[in-house]
Amino acid sequence: MTPAGSVQPEPQDELLLCYCTMVTVGELRSACGSGRWPLPGKENTGKLCTGCVGDLLYCLARFGVSASL
Amino acid sequence: MLSATFYERGYDHQVEIIHQHDAEARRRLESLQVSLYDRDGALLATPRVDPAGDIVDLGALVRDSTDARERVMVVFDARYDEAIFPYRPHHYAYLHRPRSPAPPLYYAINAVLGGVPDRVGATHINNFETYVFRRGPFDARYSVVLGCLARFVPVQVQIFTYYGAKRIAQEVTLPPKCHREVDLAPEHESERLIRVEIKALFRIVSYVVGRRADTGDLMLFDHLFTYVK
Repeated sequence: MTPAGSVQPEPQDELLLCYCTMVTVGELRSACGSGRWPLPGKENTGKLCTGCVGDLLYCLARFGVSASL
Repeated sequence: MLSATFYERGYDHQVEIIHQHDAEARRRLESLQVSLYDRDGALLATPRVDPAGDIVDLGALVRDSTDARERVMVVFDARYDEAIFPYRPHHYAYLHRPRSPAPPLYYAINAVLGGVPDRVGATHINNFETYVFRRGPFDARYSVVLGCLARFVPVQVQIFTYYGAKRIAQEVTLPPKCHREVDLAPEHESERLIRVEIKALFRIVSYVVGRRADTGDLMLFDHLFTYVK
């Protein structure tokens, strides 16, 4: 969906990604990097209000984790 | 919780930051950040708002911080102390065009991110929404106003309108922070508009809007309803 040639935005670690489970981009990045996603207690990330699903899938793909819920 | 509404010039539009009060103490937000976006997602301003206040005058806020003449998406990023707010209450708003004979409107502002805190545990799908129109002849023009609060990705939105047994589909793609108004035809092949549905991968900002046919004044501005439980 990103136009060809455009730069994909780099998620900033301090950004609150999921407002329901209070997961930040930094927590997600760290967990993905160490193979620990989903973190215990954060399994509902993306599944409650659903508002963050697009951003969550984008970040998971960006951090090298299979982008599914 | 991240919520959003839309401000149009010429309206008295007041937002109750905290609707709920208790007898012993006033409850306050931990923080409140407000951001204003134009239709193409450009950030217009981030005016400071006192989180301890009761009411935000959107007209004054937009006038004082932008020169926008078109509709503006107003985003509220509210943070709550969970000890004070065991849930996250919506913001509410009053909306009326001065001197208009149309009655004032009062509505709950759309909560898009964080409206279902994890401790509540509800896992109902809430990104399919519907609105059923009243019976009888229309004296209004109807539309939906949609906004995308995603940070990184666009969203494809399907809008289905029903006329008797016929269904008409429209699609709109909203890049991050963009918003659009999509008109809904009042009739199709002599059948009246009876229902609108909105579907997207994730929850978006969505309001169903009615404007008086004679003056264009808003007479309906409300959220849709989720129907998948």
